[in-house]
Amino acid sequence: MLKRWILDFAYYLDTSKSYQRKKHFFYRLLEDDKFKYKKYVDFLMITLIFISVIVLIREVKHHVNDYLLFFSNYIISFVFFIEYMLRLWVNSSVSKIIVARAEHDSFLHREVNLKKAFLEILRVKLRYMLSPQAIIDLLAILPFFHELRLLRIFILFRVFKLFRYAKSFQTLASVLGTKKFEFLTLGIFASIVIFISSVLIYVMEGNDPASPINTLFEAVYWSIVTISTVGYGDITPVSHEGRFVAMLVITAGIAVLAFTTSLFVSAFTEKLDEIREIKMIENVSKLKKFYLICGYESIARELARKLALSENDIIVMDEDEQRIELAKADGFTALNYDPGKVESYEKLNIDMATQVKAILCLRENDVENVYSALTIRSIDKEVFILALLMQDVNRKKLEFTGVDKIVYPQELVGLITKELVGKPVAFEVIHELRSENADVKIDELGVTERIVENFPTVGDLGNKKFRVVLLGVYKEKDDHFYFNPLDDMLLEAGDYLLVIGYQVFILEFEKYLHTKVDNA
Amino acid sequence: MPKTTALIFGYNKYAREILNNVKDKYKNIKIYARDIEKIKEEDKKFIESFDLSDEWDSIKKDVDVSKSMAFCVLEDTAENIFLTISLRANFEELTIIALASNKESANKLKMAGANKVIPLVETTADIIANMLEKPISNRILHSILYEESALKIAQIKISEDSHFKDEELHSIDWTRYNGIIVLSVMRKDMKSEFIYSNKAKHHILEPGDVLVVVGYEKDIKEFEEKIGSKRYVDWSNWSW
Repeated sequence: MLKRWILDFAYYLDTSKSYQRKKHFFYRLLEDDKFKYKKYVDFLMITLIFISVIVLIREVKHHVNDYLLFFSNYIISFVFFIEYMLRLWVNSSVSKIIVARAEHDSFLHREVNLKKAFLEILRVKLRYMLSPQAIIDLLAILPFFHELRLLRIFILFRVFKLFRYAKSFQTLASVLGTKKFEFLTLGIFASIVIFISSVLIYVMEGNDPASPINTLFEAVYWSIVTISTVGYGDITPVSHEGRFVAMLVITAGIAVLAFTTSLFVSAFTEKLDEIREIKMIENVSKLKKFYLICGYESIARELARKLALSENDIIVMDEDEQRIELAKADGFTALNYDPGKVESYEKLNIDMATQVKAILCLRENDVENVYSALTIRSIDKEVFILALLMQDVNRKKLEFTGVDKIVYPQELVGLITKELVGKPVAFEVIHELRSENADVKIDELGVTERIVENFPTVGDLGNKKFRVVLLGVYKEKDDHFYFNPLDDMLLEAGDYLLVIGYQVFILEFEKYLHTKVDNA
Repeated sequence: MPKTTALIFGYNKYAREILNNVKDKYKNIKIYARDIEKIKEEDKKFIESFDLSDEWDSIKKDVDVSKSMAFCVLEDTAENIFLTISLRANFEELTIIALASNKESANKLKMAGANKVIPLVETTADIIANMLEKPISNRILHSILYEESALKIAQIKISEDSHFKDEELHSIDWTRYNGIIVLSVMRKDMKSEFIYSNKAKHHILEPGDVLVVVGYEKDIKEFEEKIGSKRYVDWSNWSW
């Protein structure tokens, strides 16, 4: 009967959307760095840790307010307890383990063995509870038993909880973790030296009345102080034999110190690029809108510079290390990934639909661009892709990959020459309008509901007052450009006004369009 | 003076693209190639061989350089600059348009005497940037410039008998000419000014000034007739 209830309850929890949603929420709140509310929880926890440490320090020589003491010992401990229990809860799913066992047993036509399921639950939960972070969490709750004075010192364990909240500590741990074997070797070597030298000095000087070393503890203390090259000088050997041991320990100490330093340095040097990359990817995944440039050759470089001028975020991806170095030197976020591999985009951890303005395949090599474009399309069907075409014979292949826009520089040269020959002045004027350095610019101003309310027709705009030429109105809904429209043309939200004029006047005009009500 | 001859130096993909786009605009076209074995059959009629160490005697003899336009499109930047310099040294009146791979070589080509340089990298990047950042205006300007729509851009020269002559730009009511938009004016000294700029505001139109206008073909024609002038491009003093 009880077994039935437990199984039913486990199935209920496993399929209950609201339960799973709540659990997922708490999981993200405690463990997911990308969850926007996690930082508030972290901040609260860090504050509580500092409060209890301040109380501990104050308490040493002064009387601490009873309320504050109560807060530190009970309230904070209670908050940490709740946190501990929540972590224990979200760390693994009890219902899932029971359901999996039930499914497994019923598939094999056996009676469901709940005992095995509970053992599995115990194993999983214990594994979590015995992890260093969980142990620290548990010790941080102990000051709850404030009356046991020895347990007060466990408040200090709360400081260790900071490890959980400060990313750099985790990075440090992971960096040092890569040299586990070397650190173990060093530790064993140092321990052996300490052990031998402690015993030696104790044997040599333990019975010497002139020597300050009287116990084995003092001998070990002297050995550690000496091998670490700290050398307080409070305990020093007096006999020749003792000093001889000291010389050996000092020599070993220099070796240990040098070895330790070099281990730290090499661990960091090896991991530095990886750390930087992780940080960079983290920053990229936080960007709201950006252009992703695949391939950083001359056209890409120039384009990136131009796009950056209009305050766009640019991410460069290229498999060539030298080109990536160049992109970095130009001040862009650059990743040494192959744009032709799905893995590269997965590593970036971005949502193409919402974060990417456009992906620009700008290798000056059609094979690479086709490959990259196809890879991107296989990941996302919608994202806007622009690709450079170097040989016209490859146009069809590029079109086949689903590229939205193809730019063929050779064709541009032909068109430019044709215009340059036919209408040089007009060409210069248009070219000037598009150029980044020109004073006079062409701009497109979006028409909003508010603008339509205040300026129902083209005649109401009053652009001439602002010395701005209205070239025409683009109506998005019928995809038509109305050149030089008559004054009585009605404006609609979603239209674009194409205006030409000095940048400052266009800005003034735009401001006027948006603030007319306030001025009135 | 209108140009009647096109001289294309170099035979490569760019030269062929230029040839395709300008062949109906010039009476004579000559392509100066160094490696004449790789020439396509249909282009052979335009081909002349040349060497960078040439004294250009054949050009001097056969071509009226004042009516010619030269396109320097050699792929090697150094050679292209050398070619431009030698053409400029020999033919002061020749209008030279040169293709440059980037801004640095564009500057050098200008110093070498090219009238107009097309920096390929910058131009392509410019066009892509405009496509991405101002897609609508880019599309409209592109269709106007490359005549893909009924809208045209035209240059209209103020003639001696134009009734705009001696009028202040500012005082002319352009709205009378409903169909067209006047964008800028190029003065006789070859400086182009936006119609609403401070400098252009008080400019008094003189014969020889060129107005750059946008409009439909019919309206442009009507405008031309009204102001009594004609479309014309004077290359003689052209320089950028």
